[in-house]
Amino acid sequence: MLIAHISNGVKRYGTHLSLDNVDLDIYQGEILGLLGPNGAGKTTLIHSLVGLLKIDSGVIEVFGKDQKKNLLEIKKQIGLVTQEVSIFWDLTARENLEFFGGIYGLRGEVLKQRVDEVLEIVGLSEYARKLPTKFSGGMQRRLNIACALVHKPKFLILDEPTVGIDPQSRSYILETIKKLNSEGTTVLYTTHYIEEVQSIASRVAIMDQGHIIARGTIDELVRKIQYEEKINLEVIDPTKDLISKIEKIHGVKQVVGKENIIQIISSVESGNLDRILNIARESGGVKSVNTEKPSLEDVFLTLTGRKLRDGGEDSYDS
Amino acid sequence: MTVFNFVFKRYFKRPSSIFFLLILPIALVFLPMGEWPPIPLGFQYYGILLLFISVKLTSIIMIDRENKVLLRIGVAPITHFQYLLENLLAYGIILIGLNMIVVIMGSIVYRESFNYYLLLFIIYSFFSMTALGFSLAWYSLFQNKDTATSILSGVIMLMAMVGGVLWPIQIMPVILQRLAMLLPTYWLGQSITFLAFRAPISEQIIPLTMMLIFSILFLIVGSRRKII
Repeated sequence: MLIAHISNGVKRYGTHLSLDNVDLDIYQGEILGLLGPNGAGKTTLIHSLVGLLKIDSGVIEVFGKDQKKNLLEIKKQIGLVTQEVSIFWDLTARENLEFFGGIYGLRGEVLKQRVDEVLEIVGLSEYARKLPTKFSGGMQRRLNIACALVHKPKFLILDEPTVGIDPQSRSYILETIKKLNSEGTTVLYTTHYIEEVQSIASRVAIMDQGHIIARGTIDELVRKIQYEEKINLEVIDPTKDLISKIEKIHGVKQVVGKENIIQIISSVESGNLDRILNIARESGGVKSVNTEKPSLEDVFLTLTGRKLRDGGEDSYDS
Repeated sequence: MTVFNFVFKRYFKRPSSIFFLLILPIALVFLPMGEWPPIPLGFQYYGILLLFISVKLTSIIMIDRENKVLLRIGVAPITHFQYLLENLLAYGIILIGLNMIVVIMGSIVYRESFNYYLLLFIIYSFFSMTALGFSLAWYSLFQNKDTATSILSGVIMLMAMVGGVLWPIQIMPVILQRLAMLLPTYWLGQSITFLAFRAPISEQIIPLTMMLIFSILFLIVGSRRKII
């Protein structure tokens, strides 16, 4: 079932085309990783989906409803975690959650209970009565997420929620998102950290210069560019006969021997790894073997001709 | 009414609120009688204080915009109009409550007729709306709170001087007297002067209407600034 659908979405800022005929479907229960470099149009897409921005042309449907006609109703079930920490710095963590729960219509005991639950989810129960100015960067980010969860949204959108935080907090946040997803929340997660997408996303859409340039599961995307795999074989006895036998296998394109290591380039999914291992075992034995497959980073590089964090201002340090 | 309720929670948490909402207004009430117009100086200057308090109050919206909280509120099932309305309603109640305290305190210190204080309360309440509208409109012109507030005190004092709140407008050149009519403080000064000279209530219609018009114009300008 579709949770959100955007077709032919166009958004211009002057002459700059921020969304260029974007088509995207988000399905119930999935974590869709929206990957793209800074300025790709991810935030514009998100702001358009939640109704903060009006697209110049195109159609947006959320929960099967036309977004323009049912915006307030749709908003009740969406949670947005903003790129920057957007909380009240003069209110305690609990008061922040009470405010955001309140504007979603939660009252009294229900609100109190929900605030307690969310504080527990993000691990801030002990700090409920403290001002966020006293929090570490990671705790502030967690409160930022909590504010988007307090009304129990069906569809959670996270716009680069882990920028500039420590590895422990990043890991905590990613685990929290996985847990929320396992409980039924559909997640749209934007980032320019490939590692995060690989860790949590069930499907990925790659965005660049206002376009969605590829979409699918990570395996599907990798398969799109994967024609060859590199096999590194460490053998006990690297004889010429062994190399010759490997070279004769159908689909093997190149074999290079260097001391005990034999590097083999072979067609992907040819089943050659098993054949090669069998031959090597018969010729004295195998010490170790590993294969190198294209990564999501390679996919991005192939599709866009540049690295995801070209000119990026921060690094993934976990 | 969550936005409305939290305005009180947030505003009264600030230590400076006590100074602006209690100490300053009460101190003003005890200022001596002025010579022209013949009204206690505190009543004359209170309009300037209302402008400063409005600036402090509406800074909450500016801070929310700066901290991107408005972005998050924009995603919630609440309209920008509703957010502004709840804020302005709360600010209005705070100012009207303050006006009431000042007028009651004044009536204890200076024994005038009930009608005198009632009219004073009405004038202040009209000007409170104008002051709130002005602050909202002012902040809507700036991206950053520090930039907005850096010259605001000067602007308020200039408005008070040119508008005739600090001294009789008649001492200023004719051209300035005419230009002053474009300032809301001029109409406050007129209203206070009419009250001091016990002019008929009908004389108050024009200045009060002008304050109302200024409020509406300022609110329109101030509310045009959207969330992002």
